[in-house]
Amino acid sequence: MSISAMNRRWLVRTALIFLLVSAACIAATNIYALFGHGVRSASMDTMFLYPLLMGAAPWLLLAALFPMMGRRRLFRPAFNLYNSGIAALTTGAMLNGILEIAGTASAYQPLFMAAGWIFVFIGFILFLIPDSGGRTDRKAKNP
Amino acid sequence: MNRVISFFKKPCRWAAMYGVILALAFTLVLLDVFVIPKAQVRVEPPATPVYPESSEHDDSAGYIVPDAATNTAEKEEDKDEAAEENLPANPVITDTSYVDKNISISIDTVRNNATTLYVADIQISNVSYLKTALAKNVFGRNIKQTTSAMAEERQAIFAVNGDYYGFRDTGYVLRNGVNYRDSGKDNALVIDSGGNLSIAHEGAVSMETLVAGGAWQIFSFGPVLVLDGEITVDDSSEVGRAKRGNPRTAIGQAGELHYIVIVSDGRTKESQGLSLLELAEEFAERGCSVAYNLDGGGSSTMVFNGRIVNNPTDGRREGEREVSDIVYIGYE
Repeated sequence: MSISAMNRRWLVRTALIFLLVSAACIAATNIYALFGHGVRSASMDTMFLYPLLMGAAPWLLLAALFPMMGRRRLFRPAFNLYNSGIAALTTGAMLNGILEIAGTASAYQPLFMAAGWIFVFIGFILFLIPDSGGRTDRKAKNP
Repeated sequence: MNRVISFFKKPCRWAAMYGVILALAFTLVLLDVFVIPKAQVRVEPPATPVYPESSEHDDSAGYIVPDAATNTAEKEEDKDEAAEENLPANPVITDTSYVDKNISISIDTVRNNATTLYVADIQISNVSYLKTALAKNVFGRNIKQTTSAMAEERQAIFAVNGDYYGFRDTGYVLRNGVNYRDSGKDNALVIDSGGNLSIAHEGAVSMETLVAGGAWQIFSFGPVLVLDGEITVDDSSEVGRAKRGNPRTAIGQAGELHYIVIVSDGRTKESQGLSLLELAEEFAERGCSVAYNLDGGGSSTMVFNGRIVNNPTDGRREGEREVSDIVYIGYE
Protein backbone atom coordinates (compact mmCIF):
# COMPACT_ATOMS: atom_id res chain seq x y z
CA MET A 1 0.00 0.00 0.00
CA SER A 2 1.38 3.43 -0.91
CA ILE A 3 2.08 6.09 1.72
CA SER A 4 -0.55 8.26 0.09
CA ALA A 5 -3.16 5.51 0.42
CA MET A 6 -2.19 4.89 4.07
CA ASN A 7 -2.59 8.55 4.90
CA ARG A 8 -5.88 8.72 3.09
CA ARG A 9 -7.20 5.69 4.97
CA TRP A 10 -6.10 7.15 8.28
CA LEU A 11 -7.75 10.49 7.55
CA VAL A 12 -10.97 8.81 6.46
CA ARG A 13 -10.96 6.75 9.66
CA THR A 14 -10.62 9.99 11.68
CA ALA A 15 -13.52 11.51 9.75
CA LEU A 16 -15.64 8.44 10.46
CA ILE A 17 -14.90 8.75 14.16
CA PHE A 18 -16.13 12.34 14.04
CA LEU A 19 -19.26 11.19 12.22
CA LEU A 20 -19.88 8.70 15.01
CA VAL A 21 -19.33 11.43 17.62
CA SER A 22 -21.78 13.62 15.75
CA ALA A 23 -24.39 10.86 15.73
CA ALA A 24 -23.76 10.27 19.45
CA CYS A 25 -24.38 13.99 20.08
CA ILE A 26 -27.75 13.82 18.30
CA ALA A 27 -28.69 10.73 20.30
CA ALA A 28 -27.59 12.32 23.60
CA THR A 29 -29.57 15.48 22.82
CA ASN A 30 -32.76 13.55 22.18
CA ILE A 31 -32.34 11.28 25.18
CA TYR A 32 -31.74 14.31 27.40
CA ALA A 33 -34.88 15.96 26.00
CA LEU A 34 -36.91 12.87 26.93
CA PHE A 35 -36.06 13.40 30.60
CA GLY A 36 -36.34 17.19 30.47
CA HIS A 37 -40.13 17.53 30.12
CA GLY A 38 -39.65 18.39 26.47
CA VAL A 39 -37.46 21.38 27.31
CA ARG A 40 -34.77 21.89 24.68
CA SER A 41 -31.76 24.08 24.26
CA ALA A 42 -30.54 25.46 20.95
CA SER A 43 -27.00 25.05 22.18
CA MET A 44 -27.46 21.34 22.84
CA ASP A 45 -29.54 20.84 19.70
CA THR A 46 -26.71 22.15 17.52
CA MET A 47 -23.70 20.68 19.31
CA PHE A 48 -23.51 17.84 16.76
CA LEU A 49 -22.48 20.41 14.15
CA TYR A 50 -19.02 20.88 15.69
CA PRO A 51 -17.79 17.32 15.07
CA LEU A 52 -19.71 17.16 11.79
CA LEU A 53 -18.67 20.40 10.13
CA MET A 54 -15.35 21.03 11.84
CA GLY A 55 -14.31 17.40 12.23
CA ALA A 56 -15.68 14.94 9.69
CA ALA A 57 -16.00 17.31 6.74
CA PRO A 58 -12.46 18.79 6.76
CA TRP A 59 -10.78 15.42 7.29
CA LEU A 60 -12.73 13.88 4.41
CA LEU A 61 -11.76 16.81 2.21
CA LEU A 62 -8.15 16.49 3.26
CA ALA A 63 -8.20 12.76 2.56
CA ALA A 64 -9.56 13.45 -0.91
CA LEU A 65 -7.43 16.44 -1.85
CA PHE A 66 -4.24 16.48 0.22
CA PRO A 67 -3.58 13.02 1.65
CA MET A 68 0.16 13.70 1.91
CA MET A 69 -0.40 16.60 4.32
CA GLY A 70 -0.29 14.06 7.12
CA ARG A 71 3.43 13.59 6.45
CA ARG A 72 4.25 17.10 7.63
CA ARG A 73 6.41 17.41 10.74
CA LEU A 74 3.92 19.59 12.64
CA PHE A 75 0.88 17.71 11.44
CA ARG A 76 0.49 15.63 14.60
CA PRO A 77 0.50 18.52 17.10
CA ALA A 78 -1.76 20.50 14.78
CA PHE A 79 -4.07 17.50 14.47
CA ASN A 80 -4.15 17.03 18.27
CA LEU A 81 -4.82 20.69 19.02
CA TYR A 82 -7.45 21.09 16.32
CA ASN A 83 -9.35 17.99 17.41
CA SER A 84 -9.02 19.00 21.06
CA GLY A 85 -10.62 22.31 20.15
CA ILE A 86 -13.57 20.52 18.58
CA ALA A 87 -13.91 18.36 21.69
CA ALA A 88 -13.89 21.44 23.96
CA LEU A 89 -16.45 23.23 21.80
CA THR A 90 -18.74 20.19 21.74
CA THR A 91 -18.41 19.70 25.51
CA GLY A 92 -18.97 23.41 26.09
CA ALA A 93 -22.12 23.34 23.97
CA MET A 94 -23.43 20.34 25.89
CA LEU A 95 -22.66 22.02 29.20
CA ASN A 96 -24.37 25.20 28.06
CA GLY A 97 -27.41 23.17 27.02
CA ILE A 98 -27.63 21.43 30.39
CA LEU A 99 -27.40 24.75 32.22
CA GLU A 100 -29.89 26.46 29.91
CA ILE A 101 -32.43 23.69 30.35
CA ALA A 102 -31.99 23.82 34.12
CA GLY A 103 -32.36 27.61 34.05
CA THR A 104 -29.00 28.45 35.53
CA ALA A 105 -25.53 29.46 34.42
CA SER A 106 -21.87 29.03 35.29
CA ALA A 107 -18.97 31.41 35.01
CA TYR A 108 -16.82 28.48 33.90
CA GLN A 109 -18.85 27.44 30.86
CA PRO A 110 -17.49 30.17 28.55
CA LEU A 111 -13.98 28.90 29.30
CA PHE A 112 -14.76 25.70 27.40
CA MET A 113 -15.76 27.69 24.34
CA ALA A 114 -12.77 30.02 24.63
CA ALA A 115 -10.33 27.12 25.03
CA GLY A 116 -12.01 25.31 22.14
CA TRP A 117 -11.67 28.21 19.71
CA ILE A 118 -8.07 28.89 20.79
CA PHE A 119 -7.11 25.24 20.23
CA VAL A 120 -8.83 25.22 16.85
CA PHE A 121 -7.10 28.44 15.84
CA ILE A 122 -3.61 27.31 16.91
CA GLY A 123 -4.13 23.92 15.30
CA PHE A 124 -5.24 25.56 12.07
CA ILE A 125 -2.18 27.85 12.04
CA LEU A 126 0.12 24.87 12.60
CA PHE A 127 -1.50 23.11 9.63
CA LEU A 128 -0.52 26.05 7.46
CA ILE A 129 3.16 26.09 8.47
CA PRO A 130 5.09 24.31 5.74
CA ASP A 131 8.06 22.05 6.50
CA SER A 132 11.34 23.85 5.97
CA GLY A 133 13.15 22.53 2.87
CA GLY A 134 10.39 20.09 2.15
CA ARG A 135 11.20 17.95 5.20
CA THR A 136 8.58 15.48 6.21
CA ASP A 137 8.17 13.27 9.24
CA ARG A 138 9.94 10.15 8.01
CA LYS A 139 9.57 8.17 11.21
CA ALA A 140 5.82 8.07 11.22
CA LYS A 141 4.15 5.31 9.24
CA ASN A 142 1.06 7.37 9.44
CA PRO A 143 0.59 10.79 11.04
CA MET B 1 10.00 20.91 23.04
CA ASN B 2 10.83 18.24 20.48
CA ARG B 3 10.62 15.59 23.21
CA VAL B 4 7.17 16.80 24.18
CA ILE B 5 6.05 16.73 20.56
CA SER B 6 7.54 13.26 20.14
CA PHE B 7 5.77 12.04 23.29
CA PHE B 8 2.39 13.17 22.07
CA LYS B 9 2.98 11.83 18.58
CA LYS B 10 2.34 8.34 19.90
CA PRO B 11 -1.22 7.39 19.06
CA CYS B 12 -3.82 8.07 21.75
CA ARG B 13 -1.48 9.63 24.35
CA TRP B 14 -2.73 13.16 23.79
CA ALA B 15 -6.31 12.05 23.29
CA ALA B 16 -6.29 10.00 26.50
CA MET B 17 -4.77 12.75 28.62
CA TYR B 18 -6.92 15.49 27.14
CA GLY B 19 -10.07 13.36 27.40
CA VAL B 20 -9.50 12.81 31.11
CA ILE B 21 -8.90 16.53 31.72
CA LEU B 22 -11.99 17.51 29.73
CA ALA B 23 -14.18 14.98 31.52
CA LEU B 24 -12.89 16.17 34.90
CA ALA B 25 -13.51 19.82 34.03
CA PHE B 26 -17.03 18.99 32.79
CA THR B 27 -17.82 17.07 35.98
CA LEU B 28 -16.40 19.77 38.24
CA VAL B 29 -18.49 22.48 36.59
CA LEU B 30 -21.65 20.40 37.00
CA LEU B 31 -20.81 19.72 40.64
CA ASP B 32 -20.11 23.41 41.16
CA VAL B 33 -23.44 24.41 39.66
CA PHE B 34 -25.72 21.74 41.06
CA VAL B 35 -24.17 20.16 44.13
CA ILE B 36 -21.38 21.92 46.02
CA PRO B 37 -22.82 24.19 48.72
CA LYS B 38 -21.23 27.62 48.86
CA ALA B 39 -22.29 29.54 51.91
CA GLN B 40 -21.68 33.25 51.64
CA VAL B 41 -23.56 34.89 54.50
CA ARG B 42 -25.10 33.41 57.63
CA VAL B 43 -28.32 35.10 58.62
CA GLU B 44 -28.01 36.42 62.16
CA PRO B 45 -31.47 36.95 63.58
CA PRO B 46 -31.75 39.94 65.91
CA ALA B 47 -32.26 39.32 69.65
CA THR B 48 -35.85 40.40 69.19
CA PRO B 49 -37.62 40.70 65.89
CA VAL B 50 -37.51 44.16 64.40
CA TYR B 51 -39.92 45.01 61.65
CA PRO B 52 -40.45 48.06 59.53
CA GLU B 53 -42.65 50.75 60.91
CA SER B 54 -46.34 50.52 60.28
CA SER B 55 -49.16 52.49 61.84
CA GLU B 56 -51.54 49.54 61.70
CA HIS B 57 -49.43 47.23 63.82
CA ASP B 58 -51.34 45.53 66.62
CA ASP B 59 -48.97 45.68 69.58
CA SER B 60 -50.96 43.12 71.45
CA ALA B 61 -49.67 40.57 68.96
CA GLY B 62 -46.36 41.12 70.61
CA TYR B 63 -43.39 42.36 68.58
CA ILE B 64 -40.90 44.36 70.58
CA VAL B 65 -38.56 46.88 69.11
CA PRO B 66 -35.32 46.59 71.09
CA ASP B 67 -34.27 49.57 73.13
CA ALA B 68 -30.60 50.35 72.76
CA ALA B 69 -30.45 51.36 76.42
CA THR B 70 -31.64 48.04 77.83
CA ASN B 71 -29.05 45.56 78.98
CA THR B 72 -28.66 42.02 77.73
CA ALA B 73 -30.54 40.42 80.62
CA GLU B 74 -33.49 42.68 80.10
CA LYS B 75 -33.41 41.86 76.42
CA GLU B 76 -33.53 38.15 77.22
CA GLU B 77 -36.55 38.73 79.47
CA ASP B 78 -38.19 40.79 76.78
CA LYS B 79 -37.49 38.04 74.29
CA ASP B 80 -39.22 35.43 76.43
CA GLU B 81 -42.16 37.69 77.06
CA ALA B 82 -42.34 38.49 73.38
CA ALA B 83 -42.37 34.82 72.47
CA GLU B 84 -45.32 34.26 74.76
CA GLU B 85 -47.13 37.34 73.63
CA ASN B 86 -46.54 36.43 69.98
CA LEU B 87 -48.97 33.58 70.23
CA PRO B 88 -52.36 34.82 69.10
CA ALA B 89 -55.34 34.17 71.34
CA ASN B 90 -57.80 31.55 70.15
CA PRO B 91 -57.10 31.23 66.45
CA VAL B 92 -59.82 29.46 64.51
CA ILE B 93 -58.19 26.78 62.43
CA THR B 94 -59.71 24.38 59.90
CA ASP B 95 -58.16 22.25 57.16
CA THR B 96 -58.43 25.15 54.74
CA SER B 97 -58.50 28.27 56.88
CA TYR B 98 -56.84 30.12 59.71
CA VAL B 99 -58.22 33.19 61.42
CA ASP B 100 -56.95 35.19 64.36
CA LYS B 101 -57.03 38.88 65.08
CA ASN B 102 -53.99 39.59 62.88
CA ILE B 103 -54.01 36.95 60.19
CA SER B 104 -56.74 35.52 58.03
CA ILE B 105 -55.97 32.79 55.49
CA SER B 106 -58.35 30.71 53.42
CA ILE B 107 -57.30 28.18 50.82
CA ASP B 108 -59.55 27.21 47.93
CA THR B 109 -58.90 24.29 45.66
CA VAL B 110 -59.91 25.18 42.13
CA ARG B 111 -59.96 23.14 38.94
CA ASN B 112 -59.16 25.14 35.80
CA ASN B 113 -57.43 24.43 32.49
CA ALA B 114 -57.19 20.72 33.34
CA THR B 115 -55.13 21.67 36.37
CA THR B 116 -55.70 21.77 40.10
CA LEU B 117 -54.90 25.13 41.67
CA TYR B 118 -54.55 26.01 45.32
CA VAL B 119 -55.53 29.62 45.88
CA ALA B 120 -54.65 31.20 49.20
CA ASP B 121 -56.45 34.42 50.12
CA ILE B 122 -54.43 36.15 52.82
CA GLN B 123 -55.28 39.23 54.85
CA ILE B 124 -52.89 40.43 57.51
CA SER B 125 -53.02 43.39 59.86
CA ASN B 126 -49.32 44.22 59.56
CA VAL B 127 -46.60 43.57 57.01
CA SER B 128 -44.47 42.02 59.74
CA TYR B 129 -46.49 38.82 59.41
CA LEU B 130 -45.44 38.46 55.77
CA LYS B 131 -41.96 37.02 56.11
CA THR B 132 -39.21 35.31 54.19
CA ALA B 133 -36.59 32.80 55.24
CA LEU B 134 -33.44 31.34 53.74
CA ALA B 135 -32.65 27.64 53.85
CA LYS B 136 -30.54 26.79 56.90
CA ASN B 137 -30.43 30.52 57.66
CA VAL B 138 -27.60 30.85 55.17
CA PHE B 139 -27.34 32.84 51.98
CA GLY B 140 -25.39 30.98 49.33
CA ARG B 141 -25.44 28.74 46.32
CA ASN B 142 -26.79 25.19 46.67
CA ILE B 143 -27.85 25.81 50.28
CA LYS B 144 -31.20 24.04 50.27
CA GLN B 145 -34.04 22.81 52.43
CA THR B 146 -37.56 21.73 51.68
CA THR B 147 -40.28 24.36 51.96
CA SER B 148 -42.03 22.29 54.64
CA ALA B 149 -38.86 21.95 56.74
CA MET B 150 -38.23 25.70 56.63
CA ALA B 151 -41.89 26.36 57.44
CA GLU B 152 -41.79 23.98 60.38
CA GLU B 153 -38.62 25.54 61.82
CA ARG B 154 -40.31 28.93 61.79
CA GLN B 155 -43.72 27.65 62.86
CA ALA B 156 -45.16 29.18 59.74
CA ILE B 157 -48.92 29.16 59.41
CA PHE B 158 -48.63 29.32 55.65
CA ALA B 159 -45.60 29.05 53.34
CA VAL B 160 -44.69 28.74 49.68
CA ASN B 161 -41.35 28.39 47.93
CA GLY B 162 -39.59 31.62 46.98
CA ASP B 163 -37.51 32.48 43.94
CA TYR B 164 -34.77 29.85 44.44
CA TYR B 165 -32.15 32.59 44.27
CA GLY B 166 -29.38 30.05 45.04
CA PHE B 167 -29.69 28.45 41.62
CA ARG B 168 -28.44 31.58 39.92
CA ASP B 169 -25.57 34.00 40.39
CA THR B 170 -27.51 37.13 39.51
CA GLY B 171 -30.80 38.72 40.49
CA TYR B 172 -31.50 41.03 43.42
CA VAL B 173 -31.87 39.33 46.77
CA LEU B 174 -33.17 41.49 49.62
CA ARG B 175 -34.67 39.68 52.55
CA ASN B 176 -36.01 41.29 55.69
CA GLY B 177 -34.16 44.45 54.75
CA VAL B 178 -30.79 42.77 54.28
CA ASN B 179 -29.11 43.11 50.88
CA TYR B 180 -27.58 39.79 49.88
CA ARG B 181 -27.11 40.33 46.15
CA ASP B 182 -27.39 43.46 44.05
CA SER B 183 -26.61 42.32 40.53
CA GLY B 184 -29.28 41.55 37.97
CA LYS B 185 -31.02 42.60 34.80
CA ASP B 186 -34.60 41.35 35.06
CA ASN B 187 -37.84 42.59 36.54
CA ALA B 188 -37.85 42.00 40.28
CA LEU B 189 -40.71 41.89 42.76
CA VAL B 190 -40.42 44.44 45.56
CA ILE B 191 -42.37 44.22 48.79
CA ASP B 192 -41.98 47.48 50.64
CA SER B 193 -42.22 48.24 54.32
CA GLY B 194 -45.90 49.03 53.91
CA GLY B 195 -46.57 45.58 52.46
CA ASN B 196 -47.19 46.83 48.94
CA LEU B 197 -46.00 44.88 45.92
CA SER B 198 -44.35 46.64 43.01
CA ILE B 199 -42.06 45.81 40.11
CA ALA B 200 -38.57 47.21 39.58
CA HIS B 201 -36.25 46.59 36.67
CA GLU B 202 -32.89 45.55 38.07
CA GLY B 203 -31.02 47.16 35.21
CA ALA B 204 -32.74 50.49 35.74
CA VAL B 205 -33.03 50.85 39.52
CA SER B 206 -30.18 50.11 41.90
CA MET B 207 -30.58 48.11 45.07
CA GLU B 208 -29.57 51.18 47.10
CA THR B 209 -32.35 53.23 45.54
CA LEU B 210 -34.91 50.53 46.22
CA VAL B 211 -33.82 50.12 49.85
CA ALA B 212 -33.84 53.90 50.33
CA GLY B 213 -37.37 53.87 48.91
CA GLY B 214 -38.52 51.39 51.54
CA ALA B 215 -37.97 48.01 49.89
CA TRP B 216 -38.07 45.24 52.49
CA GLN B 217 -38.10 42.08 50.36
CA ILE B 218 -37.00 41.64 46.75
CA PHE B 219 -37.48 38.52 44.64
CA SER B 220 -35.95 37.95 41.26
CA PHE B 221 -37.60 35.36 39.06
CA GLY B 222 -40.62 36.42 37.05
CA PRO B 223 -42.02 37.23 34.71
CA VAL B 224 -44.46 39.87 35.92
CA LEU B 225 -47.94 38.43 35.45
CA VAL B 226 -50.12 41.42 36.26
CA LEU B 227 -49.22 45.09 36.58
CA ASP B 228 -51.69 47.90 37.29
CA GLY B 229 -54.43 45.32 37.01
CA GLU B 230 -53.48 44.42 33.42
CA ILE B 231 -52.14 41.06 32.32
CA THR B 232 -48.55 41.50 31.10
CA VAL B 233 -47.86 38.07 29.61
CA ASP B 234 -49.22 36.43 26.50
CA ASP B 235 -49.65 32.92 25.20
CA SER B 236 -46.02 32.70 24.11
CA SER B 237 -44.51 33.85 27.41
CA GLU B 238 -42.43 31.34 29.27
CA VAL B 239 -39.78 31.09 31.97
CA GLY B 240 -36.47 30.52 30.22
CA ARG B 241 -36.87 27.39 28.18
CA ALA B 242 -39.61 25.77 30.22
CA LYS B 243 -42.51 24.20 28.40
CA ARG B 244 -45.98 25.72 28.65
CA GLY B 245 -47.75 23.58 31.23
CA ASN B 246 -45.96 23.56 34.56
CA PRO B 247 -46.48 23.54 38.27
CA ARG B 248 -46.41 27.20 39.29
CA THR B 249 -46.06 29.41 42.32
CA ALA B 250 -46.98 33.08 42.19
CA ILE B 251 -47.97 35.90 44.50
CA GLY B 252 -50.22 38.89 43.90
CA GLN B 253 -51.69 41.82 45.79
CA ALA B 254 -55.44 42.38 45.80
CA GLY B 255 -55.62 45.21 48.34
CA GLU B 256 -53.90 46.73 51.35
CA LEU B 257 -52.12 43.85 53.12
CA HIS B 258 -54.35 41.54 51.11
CA TYR B 259 -52.51 38.94 49.06
CA ILE B 260 -53.37 36.12 46.71
CA VAL B 261 -50.91 33.23 46.48
CA ILE B 262 -51.49 30.54 43.88
CA VAL B 263 -49.74 27.22 43.57
CA SER B 264 -50.73 24.89 40.75
CA ASP B 265 -50.09 21.22 40.23
CA GLY B 266 -48.62 20.08 36.92
CA ARG B 267 -46.63 17.49 35.00
CA THR B 268 -49.03 14.76 36.15
CA LYS B 269 -51.88 12.83 34.55
CA GLU B 270 -54.34 14.68 36.77
CA SER B 271 -52.93 18.15 36.17
CA GLN B 272 -51.22 19.32 33.02
CA GLY B 273 -50.02 22.55 34.61
CA LEU B 274 -50.65 26.18 33.75
CA SER B 275 -49.20 28.46 31.15
CA LEU B 276 -48.10 31.86 32.42
CA LEU B 277 -51.07 33.46 30.69
CA GLU B 278 -53.50 31.10 32.42
CA LEU B 279 -51.81 31.84 35.73
CA ALA B 280 -51.99 35.60 35.12
CA GLU B 281 -55.72 35.29 34.32
CA GLU B 282 -56.30 33.68 37.72
CA PHE B 283 -54.78 36.71 39.44
CA ALA B 284 -56.56 39.24 37.25
CA GLU B 285 -59.91 37.56 37.93
CA ARG B 286 -59.27 37.96 41.65
CA GLY B 287 -58.67 41.66 41.35
CA CYS B 288 -54.91 41.73 41.81
CA SER B 289 -53.16 44.93 40.81
CA VAL B 290 -49.75 43.23 40.79
CA ALA B 291 -48.82 39.56 40.43
CA TYR B 292 -45.41 37.97 40.00
CA ASN B 293 -44.29 34.48 39.10
CA LEU B 294 -41.94 32.76 41.55
CA ASP B 295 -39.95 29.58 41.02
CA GLY B 296 -42.12 26.75 39.75
CA GLY B 297 -41.76 23.23 38.41
CA GLY B 298 -40.58 20.80 41.05
CA SER B 299 -40.06 23.66 43.49
CA SER B 300 -43.75 24.60 43.70
CA THR B 301 -44.92 23.79 47.20
CA MET B 302 -47.63 25.22 49.45
CA VAL B 303 -47.60 24.40 53.15
CA PHE B 304 -50.50 25.23 55.46
CA ASN B 305 -50.47 24.46 59.18
CA GLY B 306 -47.64 21.96 58.74
CA ARG B 307 -49.33 20.11 55.89
CA ILE B 308 -48.29 20.14 52.22
CA VAL B 309 -51.35 21.30 50.31
CA ASN B 310 -50.38 20.66 46.67
CA ASN B 311 -48.79 17.67 44.99
CA PRO B 312 -45.17 18.68 44.40
CA THR B 313 -43.44 16.85 41.60
CA ASP B 314 -40.73 17.52 39.08
CA GLY B 315 -42.48 15.19 36.65
CA ARG B 316 -40.19 12.26 37.38
CA ARG B 317 -40.81 11.63 41.05
CA GLU B 318 -43.30 12.89 43.56
CA GLY B 319 -42.26 14.85 46.59
CA GLU B 320 -40.81 18.17 47.57
CA ARG B 321 -37.71 19.61 46.01
CA GLU B 322 -35.27 21.39 48.26
CA VAL B 323 -35.14 25.12 47.57
CA SER B 324 -33.21 28.17 48.71
CA ASP B 325 -35.94 30.20 50.33
CA ILE B 326 -39.57 30.56 51.29
CA VAL B 327 -42.21 33.24 51.69
CA TYR B 328 -44.38 32.66 54.73
CA ILE B 329 -47.03 34.00 57.03
CA GLY B 330 -46.44 33.57 60.71
CA TYR B 331 -45.42 34.99 64.03
CA GLU B 332 -41.96 33.43 64.56
